[in-house]
Amino acid sequence: MTVIAGSGITPIGALTALLIVSAIVATVWWMLHPPASLVQRLAQEAETSLERMVGSIIVVFSPEIASGHMTALAAKLARGERSELLAIYVIEVPYTLPPDAEMPVEERAALDALAAAETIAANNGVDIRTETIKTRSAAETVLALAKREKANLLVMGSYREGKYSGAPLGRTVEAIAADAKCDVLIGVEGKHGTLLVDETRENL
Amino acid sequence: MSTEKHAELRRTVTPWGSFSWGYSDVGADIFIGLGLVLAAAAGASNVAFLFAGLVYVCIGLAYTELASTYPVAGGGQYFVLRGLGDIFGFIAGWAVLLDFTIDITIFAWACVDYLSQLVPTFVNSAHPWVHFWVVFGLIAALCLLNVIGVRESTAFNGFVSALDIASETCILFFGFLFAFRPELLIHNMQTSWPSPDQLMLGISYAIISFVGLESISQAAQETQRPASIIPRTSVGLILTILIFALGYSNLALGLQPWHPILDAHGQAIQFWQIFVNNGDNQGAAVALLAKQVPYWGAIAAFYVPVLGAVLLLISSNSGVFGSSRIAYAMSSSNLLPSMFQSVHKRFRTPMVSLIAFCGLAAIELIFAAIPYLDPHANAFYARFFDGESGLDFLADLYAFGAATSYSFVFIALIALRLIDPLSPRRFKIPLNIPMRFRGERVEFPVVGVIGFAGIFSILIFTLMTHPIGRVAGPLWLVLGIIMYLVYRHHRKMPLLHSQKHEWRKQQVDILRNAGELELMDEYIANVKASDERTAKESVA
Repeated sequence: MTVIAGSGITPIGALTALLIVSAIVATVWWMLHPPASLVQRLAQEAETSLERMVGSIIVVFSPEIASGHMTALAAKLARGERSELLAIYVIEVPYTLPPDAEMPVEERAALDALAAAETIAANNGVDIRTETIKTRSAAETVLALAKREKANLLVMGSYREGKYSGAPLGRTVEAIAADAKCDVLIGVEGKHGTLLVDETRENL
Repeated sequence: MSTEKHAELRRTVTPWGSFSWGYSDVGADIFIGLGLVLAAAAGASNVAFLFAGLVYVCIGLAYTELASTYPVAGGGQYFVLRGLGDIFGFIAGWAVLLDFTIDITIFAWACVDYLSQLVPTFVNSAHPWVHFWVVFGLIAALCLLNVIGVRESTAFNGFVSALDIASETCILFFGFLFAFRPELLIHNMQTSWPSPDQLMLGISYAIISFVGLESISQAAQETQRPASIIPRTSVGLILTILIFALGYSNLALGLQPWHPILDAHGQAIQFWQIFVNNGDNQGAAVALLAKQVPYWGAIAAFYVPVLGAVLLLISSNSGVFGSSRIAYAMSSSNLLPSMFQSVHKRFRTPMVSLIAFCGLAAIELIFAAIPYLDPHANAFYARFFDGESGLDFLADLYAFGAATSYSFVFIALIALRLIDPLSPRRFKIPLNIPMRFRGERVEFPVVGVIGFAGIFSILIFTLMTHPIGRVAGPLWLVLGIIMYLVYRHHRKMPLLHSQKHEWRKQQVDILRNAGELELMDEYIANVKASDERTAKESVA
């Protein structure tokens, strides 16, 4: 039998050695890459579409839109998808006042809301731009801004009205959601408890 | 009002986790099987491994199909219960239980044998009492750890499995590259071909190198997407183990040792000959082979005994929790008394099962070790057990339990193909004959018949060539059947017939809980179509 001079290696031995290594590597690789199930494919598609969706994010505040609790979520989304984050506070100036009328209470609230948004963004390691805008129609201004900024997602907070009022999530929120060209994420603040927990307690 | 709900097992086992569950059980077998087969089948050891390997491929394919179709804890016992009924389910489960208790002892024993390569005090022939107490201590420690609920983590299992695969691949790579002599292999096969009896013995030992696929099925209920993952991990495991077994046996027969091996008279001998009539060497075969591989052997001499010992200990532990899990599953199916389901109030572990089966493992250890501990027992063993003791004693029972339970699994596979054609099979064994059975189109598995013939012949070999296996094995089954009949009589349940099972409802629940929603929809559609067809036929 042929032995490669001085090495003690035979061609059959060398070939078998290589075959064993390649067979083990191929087997383990094949085993660890099973085909995706329908559910996994759907999840993958949803994630991909989310990646496409979340290009830049605008968080909208106004006296009517309470987005404080949604800012952290928006910041996390922006960090995960490396998106640009813009927080705006929209103050509606009534027609009974001039457009540049001073509205100290609302302006003070805007400072608080945007400062809190900056803090949340900083905590999440995300860059943020903030802006306070006075306008006659909050909904129209937000939609125009979203178009100008080429936003992919508008994030707004809301709260439940106690009873049906024609616009249970608030007039501005519903107007924006109805006409926006991009995706809109509306977070309705919870009531610090769930139906499930209450039911369980009742059962006990 | 009660708010108690049955907690479902969480599906956290990944593809690698599923593989390493099986590998930590089957992967350790070659550490024991190699030495035993080389000692029994000599120049035909590679042929013995090849025959057993082919049977093992059939077994693996059967388990793959069944575990992916019925992804529940219980493994072989559940498949047989479902395919053949209660009493056969009990017999198969009882045989698997025998294997799991032997698993505990044989791997703890071999663990100490591997450590003895580094710690001479553990050598059984020189210090039998030390060896006995260390093995006994390991079994007791594993029992205690399982009772108080401490288990090795899946991550640790996976890590050790990965390390062992890399190590064994390196041993084979360097061994074949630098020390394999094809002419020596042919010479050994020609000059040291065993007698038919020895070859049969070798084949029946070779099958123990492939025992443990059960573990993947046992973990099916905790595996993510079991119908998709289990076929991959099972086939991966089958191929890996087959490559190692065939690689090792051929290398051992064609190995040009790195350092000359001399016998007691100073004569040079071949590597495989060091296992003949030497229980110490048989228990540490892979470490001894690794030591003789040029270059790599210098490192392997130190780490292989430790790695082997860790893998063997994990395997021993898989016997501890495997036996308690299967006893729990059998108890849930009313095949065993409900005490095997009871869990400790504080530790929430099945203490009764754990202590019962570890106690049985300790008794098996005593029977295996007595001839070493008390020379007077030698005469008794020579007369009744052909002088077998130690690893041989344990391997005899191991081979019997495996061959029995696998035989039933093949019959169950065939039966389930006929009586349950509606369950969707994501993985189906190839080579089937289409036919009609009870109005349904079914596929008869040819491989099932071939596999049954193969494993049944190994069962016959075991009964013919293993003096302990042919006595203690059937005795174990008879005792079990008596216990089963007494229990069923006491519970006023059918003795030889099966209790009523809602298999259709169960199958929907199984697939839903497994997260295999596509398969669940397919199953429901199949059942609906079958019912409509039956209704039309009965009207006509």
